[in-house]
Amino acid sequence: MSHKNIPLPERQRLRQKMIKKHNLANILTHWFNVASWLLLLSTGIAIISSPRLGITPIWWQEMFRNLFGSDANLIRFHYTIGFLWIFVILFNVLIGFRKYFVPFASHRMLLDKDDIDWMMIKPLQMLGFRKDKELPPQDAYNAGQKIYSYFVVLCTIGIMITGPVMVFKSLFPPIVKQIAQPIHFICVFVIVAWLFIHVYMGAIFPEEKEAFFSMFSGKVSAWYARAHHEKWYNQMLKEEMEWQDNVEKEVLESTHLEKTSGAD
Amino acid sequence: MATKNHYAFVIDVARCIDCRACLVACSVENNVPMDHTRIWVYDQGLQGTWPDLSRAFVPYNCMHCDNPPCTEVCVSGATYKDATSGLVLVDQEACIGCGYCVAACPYGARYIDQSRGVVDKCTACVQRLEVGLQPACVATCVGKSRLFGDLNDPTSEASLALKNAMSVTRLDYEGNGMDADPNIFYLNLPDTSSIKASDTFGQVPQSTLPRPSQYTLSEAGWKKVAIPLVAVAMGATFLAQAIFFTKQLIEGEKDFED
Ligand code: SF4
Ligand code: SF4
Repeated sequence: MSHKNIPLPERQRLRQKMIKKHNLANILTHWFNVASWLLLLSTGIAIISSPRLGITPIWWQEMFRNLFGSDANLIRFHYTIGFLWIFVILFNVLIGFRKYFVPFASHRMLLDKDDIDWMMIKPLQMLGFRKDKELPPQDAYNAGQKIYSYFVVLCTIGIMITGPVMVFKSLFPPIVKQIAQPIHFICVFVIVAWLFIHVYMGAIFPEEKEAFFSMFSGKVSAWYARAHHEKWYNQMLKEEMEWQDNVEKEVLESTHLEKTSGAD
Repeated sequence: MATKNHYAFVIDVARCIDCRACLVACSVENNVPMDHTRIWVYDQGLQGTWPDLSRAFVPYNCMHCDNPPCTEVCVSGATYKDATSGLVLVDQEACIGCGYCVAACPYGARYIDQSRGVVDKCTACVQRLEVGLQPACVATCVGKSRLFGDLNDPTSEASLALKNAMSVTRLDYEGNGMDADPNIFYLNLPDTSSIKASDTFGQVPQSTLPRPSQYTLSEAGWKKVAIPLVAVAMGATFLAQAIFFTKQLIEGEKDFED
């Protein structure tokens, strides 16, 4: 059933009710990642200075070289932040591996048939076509977010391997370092390419406004959850109901016990 | 690139006796690892037929080119042409030892020091120039074959030697969009066609100087794969979000919930 057929009072109630989507660790990791990326991207671009490639404008290179005093300092800053980033991200993944990462990977990242249908309809709808078509229900992350996450994970691994190769330069033969450079570059900019969409969807696109605020509060309204992530919402409802049933059962049992003990 | 100083080597081939004192002096001065040298003396061998025989020894090292092909490829900016001295130097703290520059140098003047993972080459002993000394190889040359000085200063030893020279040869390299304009000026060089570069100390010379600049791997990795790929990916996603955004602006913000 479409969420569009729900009566107004019920809608209002759903909009008031907040559900937790992200835990604090997740939110902090996300914004730590954002800060690291801003620093790493700006300094990283400034490092690429080959005139033959002509990637970075000279004024940008000069600005950062003057800011840090020299090439070597700029590069040191880049990889110091880089290692901090690698450490924190890996640490968070390892610490939360059993409790958070495994469920995340198995419940929130795998694509199913609904996701594939969604991928075929949603882009057209955003452009204004096929508005009549019903979108398949989505998990906590929709298919777009899931696919994005694959790229991010792959490219992040790429960055985390090729970066240290260039820092621990005496351990690797020149050929490896020659190949590591363009791979590092590709991995970074594949993520950056997706970022255009990610940032647009998260921060500007009107329908996903709640997703943006949820990256600060960790919460989304039940209405939003139901409309955009129905499968996940139903799952949550089910768990909530089971929990209520259990509580009621326990209450029943304890009152029953009291009664029987009182009768003695 | 016009620089304040224009340091150059002037090497009189007729005066070199292949004693290789300059190699030793350089290695001592610059802590060059045992299995490498920063400078070389090429032994041309006997040329011609008896009784018209000749033999020349050609000392060479980094030519501190005016348009160095090596700085063109360095991704980290570690290799640069110094704006005041005009010397081509390597900031080894910034160098990652990838060796793009080694392939690009037409003179085989660079080597990779694998124990430190960086590239190394002749610096014209900047540390000595700063205190007013000549480079170690020049100071030690017994036959005064090697001269060094500032060509912007008409009274320097190098300028005077060039002025009085009978024949001056530059092993210029032009190709791959580069015109290197090297700053070693050879006096009395009999035949340039057979001068070969030896990559590392003791190895058999590999190719005639100057050899073509090689950009194979940097071109293949960066220019053929990385840059086009990234350009397409960024272009596509940027366009996509631009379309959504324009659409949103045109249609205005609808409250989708009601
Ligand atoms: S001789 Fe080679 S290393 Fe020296 S400046 Fe010219 S290209 Fe660079
Ligand atoms: S090896 Fe050469 S191209 Fe590579 S970083 Fe060092 S100086 Fe630059």
